[in-house]
Amino acid sequence: MKSGTDNSRTSNDAGCHMSALAGYIALTVVSAATLVIGIYGLKFSRTTSDFYVASRSVKPWWNASAIGGEYLSAASFLGVAGLILVSGADALWFPVGYTAGYLMLLLFVAAPMRRSGAYTIPDFAEARLKSPMARTVTSFLVIAVGWLYIVPQLHGAALAITVATGLPGWIGAVMVTGVVVITTMAGGMRSITFVQAFQYWLKLTAIAVPLVFIMLRLGTTGQDWSGNGAAFIGGNGDGDWYTKVSLALALLLGTLGLPHVLVRFYTNPDGPSARRTTLIVLGLLSLFYIFPTLYGILGRVFAQDLATGPNADATVLLLPARIFDGMASDALSALVVAGAFAAFLSTTSGLVVSVAGVLSQDFFGGSVKGFRRAALLSAAVPLMVAIATDSLALAGSVGLVFAFTASTLCPMLLLGIWWRGLTDVGAVVGMGVGTVLCGGAILASTLFTGPAPVLLQYPAAWTVPPAFAAMIIASRMTAHRRPTGLNRILARLHVPEND
Amino acid sequence: MTGNPRRIRVQSPGYDAQEPAPASQPDDASNASDAYVRSLIRSQLRLAVVVGSGFLILLLGVPALVWLSPALAQLSILGVPLQWLLLGFLMYPIMITAAWLYTRSAQRNEERYRQLTDQQ
Repeated sequence: MKSGTDNSRTSNDAGCHMSALAGYIALTVVSAATLVIGIYGLKFSRTTSDFYVASRSVKPWWNASAIGGEYLSAASFLGVAGLILVSGADALWFPVGYTAGYLMLLLFVAAPMRRSGAYTIPDFAEARLKSPMARTVTSFLVIAVGWLYIVPQLHGAALAITVATGLPGWIGAVMVTGVVVITTMAGGMRSITFVQAFQYWLKLTAIAVPLVFIMLRLGTTGQDWSGNGAAFIGGNGDGDWYTKVSLALALLLGTLGLPHVLVRFYTNPDGPSARRTTLIVLGLLSLFYIFPTLYGILGRVFAQDLATGPNADATVLLLPARIFDGMASDALSALVVAGAFAAFLSTTSGLVVSVAGVLSQDFFGGSVKGFRRAALLSAAVPLMVAIATDSLALAGSVGLVFAFTASTLCPMLLLGIWWRGLTDVGAVVGMGVGTVLCGGAILASTLFTGPAPVLLQYPAAWTVPPAFAAMIIASRMTAHRRPTGLNRILARLHVPEND
Repeated sequence: MTGNPRRIRVQSPGYDAQEPAPASQPDDASNASDAYVRSLIRSQLRLAVVVGSGFLILLLGVPALVWLSPALAQLSILGVPLQWLLLGFLMYPIMITAAWLYTRSAQRNEERYRQLTDQQ
């Protein structure tokens, strides 16, 4: 056992043999690289438009890498493997759902969203509904979603820094927040595009290389990677249809409303390139999720003890040390720690940029100075929440955020793009119903000391349909409030460019 | 589709997907006939719903398989049970294929719209 910690919450006794030095090196390198690339982007970002959407000149491959980098959060890098370790085949729904969300995004949102010409989701609400009220409600929701989503990232950072170095968890959360605030304030979105694209490939390398070595090692020592099939036993759900349908609904529809993902679509030059970008993202995510899935399966054989402790989400971080010793173990562990920090940094900065974009446009006058102030505020609030609260299982708590966006922003976007009948009152009523139901479920689920009831853990199935229904009914009752020039607005969303 | 009295003109598309489009949006889009726009929206929505529900049926087919025939779901291929193989690995190429097919068809719908409006 390694010296240096008697930290209470996530103690090293849960099977960590990682060298603290390797952890420190990994953290320093990732943070330094992120800062350097972020500040280098400063050269390119001079005007306000640069700050918000990189002047819409980002190429599909760059954009797709950036979306992948931004999207693959703590839940993907650590949570998926942890959940597979704990619950087996049922957990496979998470990576599939996280990816399938992009299929839905491609089908229903990508091109129209780009063609709307809006910077942010509130911009879209205003352009489509011609209503400052709808805009304000949407702004508050975007800020809420962003903050809700940053908190699990910081919990992930706390877990990772404790496992990797033995330091208390809050240092990890503060570190991630600090790096993100500096890069965001320095360069805005353009630099973030570079940073995010870099982060995707770093994350892929960091999770793939150790796995290749682990598989080679198992091959040469003649151990079966799945424990002769033992890894696949158990956790088959026994026909629990409610959980599956509710989770699928949350993950598939929730992606449509994620503000940090949608903001990326404004940086595509036109509708077709927005579609191409989304197609590439699907490929990049599919490639990535093979690896946490394999880590989870390996974990079920070689790190089974983690399933019952508080460190299930650290499976990816601890697995290399279970297979290798000495230098090889340290090097591979350092690599996965670096990847995990890349995940926290990239998702957090994407969220901070989108929350700051909304905050500064709606409350700070839209200037560059306002954006910087907003960036500071949008990172500080979730940091305080993260330090004050305890972490849940990462994949699960991110799943709740997806349920929330699926019940609020998603209906507004889907109906706004595809249904002529949506009115501002309808949108506000629907988002209100979704917020009360799903927000209530999230709040209620925090009251339980043990695991919350399934209905609260997976609320989407009973919160999304009422939100849609309320939006449609209230729109029908206020049909006279359909904006003037509706035909022109819808034509702009759907008619191809360069006509 | 919409009744169209004129012949279809054979022409180069006049639109190069490789070329970046100008930053400005087509403001004269509102001049384009409403009927054409509505029909474009309908066909794009129909396409999206067909692809989306097709994928959903495949996705929910996996638990359906486990529910209907647990033995088949546990059938081991290369040491991996079918259920794990389907959900953990094979769903991804299916999604990419669906996305690729959709992108092509959506582009074709837009091409058709462009041809119809070019004739006015």
